[in-house]
Amino acid sequence: MDYSLTNLWHNLTAQLAYDPSQPLLFSSGLFWVLFLLFIPLYAWVKPRRTQMLLFVTAFSLFFFYKSSGWYLLFMVFTATLDWLLAQRIAQSGDDRRRRWLMTLSVVCSAGLLVGFKYTNFVLWNIDAIIGRNFQPLDIVLPVGISFYTFRTISYVVDVYKRKLQPTDSLLEYLFFISFFPCLIAGPIVRATELLPQIRQNKPATRAMVYGGLWLVLMGVLKKAVAADYIAQYVNIAFGNPAGYSGVELLMAILGYTMQIYLDFSGYSDMAIGLASIMGFRLPKNFDFPYLSLNVTEFWRRWHMSLSFWLRDYVYISLGGNRRGKRRQYLNLMATMLIGGLWHGAAWKFIFWGAGHGGALCLHKWLMPRLKALPDTGWVRFVSWLLTFLVVSLLWVFFRADTFGTACDVIWGTVSRFDMAYLPVFAQVRNTWCIVMVLAFALHFLPQAIWNDLRRRFIRSPWWVKLLAFVIVVQLVLEFAAADVQPFIYAQF
Amino acid sequence: MSKALRGLIGILTAGLAIFAALSFVPDGIDLGFARLKTGSFAETMFAAQKVPKPVAQPVGKGTDEQPGKAVQPSKPKKAAMDTTAKVILFIGDSMLEGLGPRLAAYANENGHTLINVIWYSSTTEVWGGCTRLKERIAEFHPDYIFVCLGANELFVSDIKRKRQRYLDNMLAQIGDIPYVWIGPPNWKPDTGINDMLQESCAQGSFYLSNGQHFDRAKDGAHPTHASAAAWCDRVCKWVMTQSAHPIKLNRPKVAKARCRTIVYQPQR
Repeated sequence: MDYSLTNLWHNLTAQLAYDPSQPLLFSSGLFWVLFLLFIPLYAWVKPRRTQMLLFVTAFSLFFFYKSSGWYLLFMVFTATLDWLLAQRIAQSGDDRRRRWLMTLSVVCSAGLLVGFKYTNFVLWNIDAIIGRNFQPLDIVLPVGISFYTFRTISYVVDVYKRKLQPTDSLLEYLFFISFFPCLIAGPIVRATELLPQIRQNKPATRAMVYGGLWLVLMGVLKKAVAADYIAQYVNIAFGNPAGYSGVELLMAILGYTMQIYLDFSGYSDMAIGLASIMGFRLPKNFDFPYLSLNVTEFWRRWHMSLSFWLRDYVYISLGGNRRGKRRQYLNLMATMLIGGLWHGAAWKFIFWGAGHGGALCLHKWLMPRLKALPDTGWVRFVSWLLTFLVVSLLWVFFRADTFGTACDVIWGTVSRFDMAYLPVFAQVRNTWCIVMVLAFALHFLPQAIWNDLRRRFIRSPWWVKLLAFVIVVQLVLEFAAADVQPFIYAQF
Repeated sequence: MSKALRGLIGILTAGLAIFAALSFVPDGIDLGFARLKTGSFAETMFAAQKVPKPVAQPVGKGTDEQPGKAVQPSKPKKAAMDTTAKVILFIGDSMLEGLGPRLAAYANENGHTLINVIWYSSTTEVWGGCTRLKERIAEFHPDYIFVCLGANELFVSDIKRKRQRYLDNMLAQIGDIPYVWIGPPNWKPDTGINDMLQESCAQGSFYLSNGQHFDRAKDGAHPTHASAAAWCDRVCKWVMTQSAHPIKLNRPKVAKARCRTIVYQPQR
């Protein structure tokens, strides 16, 4: 290797340049180098609120630029428009005008989201119906657009409903919309939660700084170690379900069930941890969702910021449960279909949303009978098992490339199931099995133990924290280099 | 600045400095009982500026009836065909079960001697992490080598960082012997194995199979016997007409033949 300054400069500028294939993920080395430069400057400007707002907003916009390029202007445009409209809504005493302004804001924000995310999906469906051959449009989806659009909609709707006094400062609003810890993948923090903290501008306490570091390390372990490693086998099996036995496909289904949780909740943990280090408390986004005893409870524990957003801004807006049972079921289905479509522009996401909507309706319908059941260990176990099965099966549709592949995975699991493969699988893919067993075991660990571990970490001396940091990063390196073989047997 | 933030900055600085320093040992650190992996900081920061290389694109889908149309980024100078009888060593993964018997028929037809070495579930890492290839070369003294590897590495993430050195080691073991590397018959888009092979193999020595049509066996990955034979036909036609080292590979009259075959079981 040539350790020349020319190479260093060239590579450094390349790393910092816009590259849609290399978003600035919290688990990347580049992010941590930048964060290390960011934190002392942040601490320096923190007491001066305007400077702090300017500095963090600039960093957040760079964070967005790195993966989305000049699409950041769209975000600034949306934010400015919504900020202006929210001001007008607050100033106006005319209900019709207020409603019109709110609708305009929502249509503009949602319109951009639909334009970027769903244009090709709509065209593809039109093409399928009328049989015309069209080329998909070359649309780059700005990173995090689904998340910041929901944040901006919630802000305007809250102002419209007089739940929130709008901010007079565009800078403050830009800070809220672009706040980098939750820019890419949430949590969908609301203005009612973040704006007061921005105004108070309290310094981070020791518990917040080291509690944040704990969350970040846990998030890295979940995302970059466990989820990414589990994903290797899942990708292989879902890539070619015909080549795998029932046991192997079952493992892939369980693997994806755990992978998506570890991946998403890990990223949320990192986001919440980073915000905590900066002195901001973000809402919890996952609360051990696979402990749920029914689907309703699952949605109270899974991606909470999204499910509460959908509840408050879609389900309740549609009438919630105030207009009779039938209307409630319709509202639930509509909410979950929107939730499904929000995850991606494909029928499989709509099917996944419909599946959850159907399960929620069924649970609501059965509720009176379920309440009559005794609260015994067996009843709880069966409830848990059924919920876990439904959630895991629906994840198959979420993960598979096509509806057909999802059916192949499920049918292959059932039709080619032979327990004799299990010991072979465990023997050959022992590391993968250990990671899975550990992930499930830790998921079922009582929350009090996690809280205690966190408290101990916060109180621990600096060298323990450094050691934990080093171990986590080394694990990332070890597991990133470990590959899962596609074929454990080779029968032609 | 609060004491906690100063402490955090200290921890992050020390931690990142440790990993940045260790990254200057790219092969990892041997602890005796284990080898610690090191990061890619040094490589990312000091890697030589890349000159973009043209990437091979299949210009059309080869089918079982049509000859292959895999092309090289730029055509090498057309070399004269070597019509002498060769000792051919064919190494690779389970794909050889389909390709091997058909290539054996080609060898018989054209007066060559073929030795197939099948290492099930093998990868560039498996072959490049040992000297088995060199040993077989020393044993059989081949004057032409076929390699078919990569199907087990279609989904390896960050593949260049993980596998480039093994691939380079394999190519070093092959040395000056003319060779053809048959790319994997993708059943899904790969994460970079074909690009890596394309960039590393000598011009006219890599046959891109990706993008061609294959009828698949029940496992959905391996081509059926018939499709593998047709694949072999396309490869042989390409070797004769477009490769850097054309040898005589006229189409045989029989569908398949036997040859000396060595089998290695998967590495655990």
